[in-house]
Amino acid sequence: MVVEPAVPAHTAAGMRTAWRPVRPPYGPHQQSTAGRRAAAAALAAAGAADRTVPGDPDGRPRFPPGFAGSISHTDRLAVAVVVPGAAAVGVDIECAAISPRVARFVLSERERHTLLPPAGTCTPRELFSAKEAAFKALNGIGTGGHFLFWKIELSQSGDALTAFYGGATVPVWIRSAEDISFAVAIQR
Amino acid sequence: MPDEVSAVRQSIRELLREQHGGDRFVSTVSDSESLRQAGMSSNALVALLVAMEDAFGFEWDDDVHPEALRSIESLADHVVALRG
Repeated sequence: MVVEPAVPAHTAAGMRTAWRPVRPPYGPHQQSTAGRRAAAAALAAAGAADRTVPGDPDGRPRFPPGFAGSISHTDRLAVAVVVPGAAAVGVDIECAAISPRVARFVLSERERHTLLPPAGTCTPRELFSAKEAAFKALNGIGTGGHFLFWKIELSQSGDALTAFYGGATVPVWIRSAEDISFAVAIQR
Repeated sequence: MPDEVSAVRQSIRELLREQHGGDRFVSTVSDSESLRQAGMSSNALVALLVAMEDAFGFEWDDDVHPEALRSIESLADHVVALRG
């Protein structure tokens, strides 16, 4: 385990996370392969008989029925999360620094003032990752068709964040180590 | 117009070269290919959008359609359309 958010037991029941390294030369093909390997490992750990994750025409991974899951990768590392019985799951990992300009682009003024220090405790990289994870989960429940991930609004809600878009909400949990941020959104 | 579109596409490729690891990505992605499906991260895509605001002197509208951000071709078409 590299780093994993502390998702409450009632939400994370059966949740399985698997990590796989991206092999040289670290291109899109190798990143995709590492993601599919991570997904197969997470599905196996979750007890799925079918461990293949084909891609939809738009590139989104299609997990077996009953095993909601999601994949994310950087150029060196891939992760997959599977939550049996969940309606949708979204996961994201980020290693790259988020520049102040990019943070202003993806975070609303309210989010910057309430979630970043000194009022909040999140980093721009965690919030970027949270929006990506929420985007995947909200797409998984068919929210709103095509939309841009930074249009999702985040608010603090106890130990988690709540993501809002188009009348739908999903909780998001985040955790960071020095060189990576991990976010997972789970719609039960 | 075709010359303008071509020039904007080339400018976007220059921004990509600066923002996204030199020639390796730019030399393999076609004008019409999805940048995300070609392996561009969301962080790199947003960095490109920000760089485009500076390079072309505009700000992205809140209601821009996601399809406009799909490829070098669609990004260039959006810039040229804004210029009228």
